[in-house]
Amino acid sequence: MSESMDLLEIRNLSLSFGSVRALSDVSLHVKAGEITAIVGDNGAGKSTIVRCVAGVHRPDEGDIVFDGQVVNFVRPDQARVAGIETVHQNLALVEDLTVWQNLFLNREISHGVGPVRFLQKKEMRKRARDMVAKLAVNVPSVTSTVRRLSGGQRQAVAICRAAGFSSKLVIMDEPTAALGVQETRRVEELIERLRSEGHAVLLISHNFDQVMRLSDQVWVMRAGKCVAGRRARDTTAQEIVGLITGAIAA
Amino acid sequence: MTATESVGERVRVTLTRPTFWVEWASVVGLVLLVVLFTALDSTFLSAGNIRGMLLASAILTILVVGQAFVILTAGIDLSVASVMTFAAVMFGLAMTHGYGILLSCLVAFCAGAAVGLLNGVLVAKGRITDFIVTLGALSAASGTALILSDGKPITVISAPLFELSAGSVGVVPYTFMIALLIAVLAHVVLFKTKFGTHVLATGGSVEAAQATGIRTTRIKIAVYAISGSLAGIAAILLVARVGSAEPAANMTFLLNSVAAVVLGGVSLFGGKGSIKGPIFGALLLTALSNGLTLLGVSQFYQPLAVGVVVVGAAFLTRFDK
Amino acid sequence: MTGAERRRSRWVGGMALACGLSLMLSACGGDSAAPSAGDGEAGGDAKIGVVIKGLDNPFFQHMEDGIEAAAEDSGVEYTIQAAASITDTSGQADKLSNLANQDYDCYVVNPISGTNLVQGIAQIAAKDKTIVNIDNPVEAEAAKAADATIATYIGTDNLAAGKMVADQLATLAPEGGDVATVGGVAGDVTSAQRIDGFKEGLSQDFTVVQEVAADWNRQEAQTQAETILRANPELAAFFVANDDMAMGVARAVAAADRKGETLVVSVDGIDGVASGDIDAAVAQYPFVVGKMGMQACEAAAAGHELPAKVDTPIELITPENAKEAQEAFPEPPSDYENPFADLLEG
Repeated sequence: MSESMDLLEIRNLSLSFGSVRALSDVSLHVKAGEITAIVGDNGAGKSTIVRCVAGVHRPDEGDIVFDGQVVNFVRPDQARVAGIETVHQNLALVEDLTVWQNLFLNREISHGVGPVRFLQKKEMRKRARDMVAKLAVNVPSVTSTVRRLSGGQRQAVAICRAAGFSSKLVIMDEPTAALGVQETRRVEELIERLRSEGHAVLLISHNFDQVMRLSDQVWVMRAGKCVAGRRARDTTAQEIVGLITGAIAA
Repeated sequence: MTATESVGERVRVTLTRPTFWVEWASVVGLVLLVVLFTALDSTFLSAGNIRGMLLASAILTILVVGQAFVILTAGIDLSVASVMTFAAVMFGLAMTHGYGILLSCLVAFCAGAAVGLLNGVLVAKGRITDFIVTLGALSAASGTALILSDGKPITVISAPLFELSAGSVGVVPYTFMIALLIAVLAHVVLFKTKFGTHVLATGGSVEAAQATGIRTTRIKIAVYAISGSLAGIAAILLVARVGSAEPAANMTFLLNSVAAVVLGGVSLFGGKGSIKGPIFGALLLTALSNGLTLLGVSQFYQPLAVGVVVVGAAFLTRFDK
Repeated sequence: MTGAERRRSRWVGGMALACGLSLMLSACGGDSAAPSAGDGEAGGDAKIGVVIKGLDNPFFQHMEDGIEAAAEDSGVEYTIQAAASITDTSGQADKLSNLANQDYDCYVVNPISGTNLVQGIAQIAAKDKTIVNIDNPVEAEAAKAADATIATYIGTDNLAAGKMVADQLATLAPEGGDVATVGGVAGDVTSAQRIDGFKEGLSQDFTVVQEVAADWNRQEAQTQAETILRANPELAAFFVANDDMAMGVARAVAAADRKGETLVVSVDGIDGVASGDIDAAVAQYPFVVGKMGMQACEAAAAGHELPAKVDTPIELITPENAKEAQEAFPEPPSDYENPFADLLEG
């Protein structure tokens, strides 16, 4: 059953920035078709671990196994090609480009010879509309610039970009941190829709309610280590908080 | 009725949108200047004067295209004019050494491209601020030009070059056609190709561009190389125009190239702008200088007028935030 | 190429701008001009310290040539220091102060501004040594403040040069007409003096209809001249403040098919006159300025009284004498008065 298969497996990952040990011997796994959350205090290493997976950082030690293969990403686009999409905390949208340009950034549909690539704008606009419609994302028009969108709409565009292009794993770093109640709810719906579309989601969040509500699996990090893993239905918010602070031993 | 109303409404909405004035400041400014100067002096719109203005704006136009690419990535190229000087001297030397016109043109182009490439590598890979790198290149290129030419103009006599500088179809000089061709190509590259989108993305947000895997280092190197190459082409037109390769500093070209790009609504923070805007900016600056001279306005007022126009345009872009 | 001030003043503009930009980096230019000590033989009996402007343009290169040529002639011992650039006022002042502390009998100075060398001049005056001022005059007020007496001033008269061009224009176009002037950087002193001299000397038959600044730049001069010709198609003449811009103006005149009808006259431009592009020019001779400065020091050392002010020659260049002038360069083609040489011989 594909439900129980590990899509991503992180084995004994360690990474230091100079004398600072950001990750030490971290192991965790993400199942296909599930929402997996990583929680922890500020500086616990949550963002660092996902940046390793997304190809931004290269671990000093350990392996990342994705879809049955040991991968070694040097640049973010290699992770993208492999099927790992990231919604960064800053969203990584270019404000002065349109929604469709952002959706297709660095995977533009083009034709031409060698390095001369002419854009196929019409095709990209059409597909962008499809992508937006599929996730029922509330965006005024794919031809408006991102600058004119609200925070929630921008988040939706970023998620939409991550969900498109047949990605297998979507990493989200604090997707609702900067949003209001209404917009948070919309984004949460979007995340659940991604799961029902068959994507695996790796979620970093501070919001325990959200984590408990959305996720199937929770990993707790503390001081660069992964201290515990729990099935969401088998645990409580109190236990998670205890694990984060160290009040409860793993 | 509803149709006309909606048209009227759309015009009103467009005109009251601040970004409209930012995008079209240079065109509106140019039209206003043309109206003003024509009212004051009927020779302003004479065929001869139009031709003269186009001729005078060709070199600036080419430099402005290069500058626009660099500024679109949130950089700045302070060395464009000096690189042109350097390339002009290289061109002059190649001609006097009997390389022939085509090979000499290639020498000028490559000289400009090489300096531009060096600028780009230092900015993108060396991680030195663009301002400092191109300021250094400004000095180094003028210095090299002075050394190579021994501080003296190199007379270049060539029939095809003279034809290039003097010939025209109607009121449109050959040199302006070349400038226009370059501008059109630049527009296509910027807005119709993958590379162009990546230039805009790099300028708009380096982090976002890198997150999607765009090699922003390469993009930066490329835009400086483009700027340098275009300065090399401008150098050929410059030599053709004055009949000699001069190691002159050409500071006015530098200032006007930046001014025209700003006039043309390109954001100095990068990521937003066009090619047509800066081109109209270049035409505007040329028309301004031409009109003031035509009217016999004192030399002391010209820099003041340019300053007012540039700051006025920068003021417009304030609304765009 | 005549010893044009071309690049001198062009660089005033260019370098001023470059300096403005690079102020935050460092002072403009470096102390690259190393002193070149002339190890003179026993011939001369004075030790001379020379401080001149930047060697970044031909005008001052010719001046330095003149200084070296004079020193070689007499075998006098000397040290020459140049400012790093045309805007290096404080650096030049430091150089003179350094020399003032050393043991020289006579100092030749060409200050960048009328006042920037005043400290060094005061030091020299306190030691009671001779001061010879060449090219750019030390302001009288500044000299007074330094309690210094300038033994002699040797320079080229830009006003007179402009005037002489005006006189020649009257001969070439006796019927008069409209004229336009093309100057260097707007506000530049040299350019303004030449144009003022020209306008002063202009006969009443002429009217100045347009004055433009072309930044000592050939391309700019050409563009401006083209525009002026369109506004004033019957223009009788252009007065151009240096040779390089004059070449650009000449091209504009040729392009407008006005060659021979619209005359081009300029300060400097021997080669342009020789090639037929410029109709008449007045040449200045920085080489002679430098040479006379050295000779003045030698004459003072020999105990002679120096004349207070000496104008170095300017020469009218016409198509008739252009060839001769080219051959004689950097000296003028005809004999000229040199009071210092007379003193040394007499």
